[in-house]
Amino acid sequence: MDLLKRLRAICGPGHVSDVLADRMCYRRDCGPTPGGVPDIVTRPESTAEVVAIIKAANEARKPIFIWGRATTFVDFGVKEGCIVLALDLMNRILEIDLENQVVTAETGAIWHAVDSELNRLGWEMTVPGGGGMFSCTIGGTVAYNAVPHGITEYGITGGHVVSLEVVLPDGTVIRTGSASNTDAPLNIERGANGTDLAGLFIGSCGTLGVITEVTMRIHRVPECERFLFYAFDNVDDCVDAASAIQSQQAATFLVGLFGGPKPAGVEGEAFLHTIIRDNTAEADRRVRAARICCETFRGRPQDPEGTRRYWTEHMYSWLRNTTASAYYGSRPYYCPEVAGFITTQALKEAIPALHEYVATNADFARTGMRIKGFDVYFSPNAAYLWVDTLYPEFSAEAKEVGLRVRAEIAELLFSRWMSPGGIVAGIAPYIMHRLGTAFELLKTLKAVLDPNSILNPGVLGLGGDND
Amino acid sequence: MTEHHDDTLALQTVAQSTYECLRCAFCFDLSWLGTEANLCPSYAWGAFESYGARGRIAIARAILEGELEYDESLISRVFACTECRACSEHCFKYIDTVKIYAQMREDMAKRGLIPPGLAATADVLAEKHNIYDKPHEKRLSWLKDRSRVDKSAPVAFFVGCTPSYVRRTLARDTYAVLDASGIDFTVLSDEWCCGHPFLAAGQRERAAEVMRHNVDVLKSLGVERMVFECPGCMRAFREDIPEVLGEPLPFEVVHVTEELARQVEAGRLQFDVYQSGAVVTYHDPCTLGRGLGIYDAPRTIIEAMPGMRLAEMNRHGRDSYCCGAGSFVRYDFPEFTDQTGVERFREVESTGAQVVLTACPACVTQLQYIRGQIESNVRVLDLISLVKRVGRWR
Repeated sequence: MDLLKRLRAICGPGHVSDVLADRMCYRRDCGPTPGGVPDIVTRPESTAEVVAIIKAANEARKPIFIWGRATTFVDFGVKEGCIVLALDLMNRILEIDLENQVVTAETGAIWHAVDSELNRLGWEMTVPGGGGMFSCTIGGTVAYNAVPHGITEYGITGGHVVSLEVVLPDGTVIRTGSASNTDAPLNIERGANGTDLAGLFIGSCGTLGVITEVTMRIHRVPECERFLFYAFDNVDDCVDAASAIQSQQAATFLVGLFGGPKPAGVEGEAFLHTIIRDNTAEADRRVRAARICCETFRGRPQDPEGTRRYWTEHMYSWLRNTTASAYYGSRPYYCPEVAGFITTQALKEAIPALHEYVATNADFARTGMRIKGFDVYFSPNAAYLWVDTLYPEFSAEAKEVGLRVRAEIAELLFSRWMSPGGIVAGIAPYIMHRLGTAFELLKTLKAVLDPNSILNPGVLGLGGDND
Repeated sequence: MTEHHDDTLALQTVAQSTYECLRCAFCFDLSWLGTEANLCPSYAWGAFESYGARGRIAIARAILEGELEYDESLISRVFACTECRACSEHCFKYIDTVKIYAQMREDMAKRGLIPPGLAATADVLAEKHNIYDKPHEKRLSWLKDRSRVDKSAPVAFFVGCTPSYVRRTLARDTYAVLDASGIDFTVLSDEWCCGHPFLAAGQRERAAEVMRHNVDVLKSLGVERMVFECPGCMRAFREDIPEVLGEPLPFEVVHVTEELARQVEAGRLQFDVYQSGAVVTYHDPCTLGRGLGIYDAPRTIIEAMPGMRLAEMNRHGRDSYCCGAGSFVRYDFPEFTDQTGVERFREVESTGAQVVLTACPACVTQLQYIRGQIESNVRVLDLISLVKRVGRWR
């Protein structure tokens, strides 16, 4: 039986396509560069079907690219001639367990849809999801360990995973944490049963296994939310205020703006949005603490309505007091971002260096490139800096310049201050070689788990042509 | 990338828009409503991304960049779309997705790649000036009183093909409502189809011909304002005619629900009780809502009806789900139409309503058909017919 027939037998004929028009739609995520055109697109409905597809791919030595909703910036991960494993049909919530404060969902469930179901009960996942929450999948978000909203208090996405069901590259199905005890498979504790196997797959971008089920922690929706917005006349004051708020553990989410368009109607050089979620008494205390931090460093309070709308609508435009339509509409621009973790105080060096890079780069003006933002999500102890440049993708020259700028900014930041969060293919070449023996270990793990280099070969520089 | 090969492609006119797509996938579903909330009926039916907006735009780019050619595999992927505009309405980048599809349809029409049912309908329309293959001279057979026909008047009631030929009660009810409102209006003996079916079939030149005809006839009667019951016809006038003919529309256009809502707000229109304690729900026609931005007027009317409670569906307003009637897809993709209609009607039933109201002849037809298919007890009524029944004008 040829591979196509075999896959159709596994998934049903309606869930497998080799039509070129279909295949053209599965070669690119939100990143700027298309990958290869896959040979076959599959849409399994169960873990058993995923297992069967992986076994078939191994026998045929055909690589697989794992497709959640492709809302990441992995970029050119899809290998020419591969099988796309689209997981969007595996989208059920399997259990909302209020007693044990966890939710278990199939990998393709939309992150925000899971939270919406929880919200009806007055609960939510303990981490709010990343910028793609409205359309990204829960499995993909974990696989790429997305930097979430609310990272200042809640930390990164992967920290909230309780257990995973994973199909390994040879088709073996494992469960992690307390759920791995086959005699008492309970989704209650990630740290149970020894080695943190979930951690092996969180952030591995599908290179080591296919996440098919995810169990996340949940909690009650906090009683109240408070919002603050401050403007500063220089980067240093803003950074010091942010650092003080981190020390006070005052913010649920602290977002700094250090470049790009300034918030409409506000004077200043740097800006801090603060979101606080807690019970009323504690929220009021944290508001007082955050205010003191900002005003100690000469911050000027502003109307926080944009902050509130940003948080409730999850539209970045509101960080700049701008409606989504004005901000995103009529903007034929594409964003080849570079982002990563940096110490809070190092922002005082990195931000001026970025401004200098832009000011001395004539390509920006010549090709119509813009700075979308040098925006920072402050984590509990550090900063996650997004460097977003925009170029008009309709212009081939602008795109070429845009990708070169991404490379130069990645080199600048990764060589001095920064390590990326979700590693996109476009920036992997600028970071993986810096990981030294850690990268060697990753390569060894990849070779052991996936000797045929079936799963997402090439992503993170693992497998495929990199071997 | 960005090599734009064939300058003769209609798609070239919207090439830049296709490059605006961020691929965010906001066009697929309504995650804020939970895990089972389809947004795009085509994607829900066609299953692969090529049936959704993000996929269609990827296809458009592939065509522009010479990586893909129009062929028969694209017929269902481009034409099995009700043009419900849910994708456009929810686009993160505010892309006019339907405009991109229209250019793809135009390119495909030039290559003979129109689905057969729609192609045949367009040919009938070219000959008979209506989509139902009925004699043109029977267009006003629903109207006994001929006193308003072709008379000079400031207002014209543009009836549309469906009310003229297959939902004649609705034509009569709308006429009666306008008459009771004291409006000085006319109807046309030589009204032709609005032209939208030609655009759905990618036949722009044929659309231009009927649009020109209608505009000239209306001008000759001194019309200043047009009233529509059919949202599709209204959108063809308000949005398509200026674009296709390249000139501004010389008339104000208004939907009859807007006219009636104004009368309600002014206290000139009141209602008798329809059914005491009745629970109704309202299905937003895609073209009336997302296509024309009219969400409030029908609700203003419904909420003014005594003894009636409006129970909204989970997906309503800009989030409303298509009933499957749009863009003549039933001619070629009946399974798609039925699947979409059943999903919508199940949502109607979930409200506990005894009646589903809407304000579009195509939606009424589709919902009544689906009601029969699934043997639902929920009645389907056009809002204008209900107004005719219980309205009292001062």
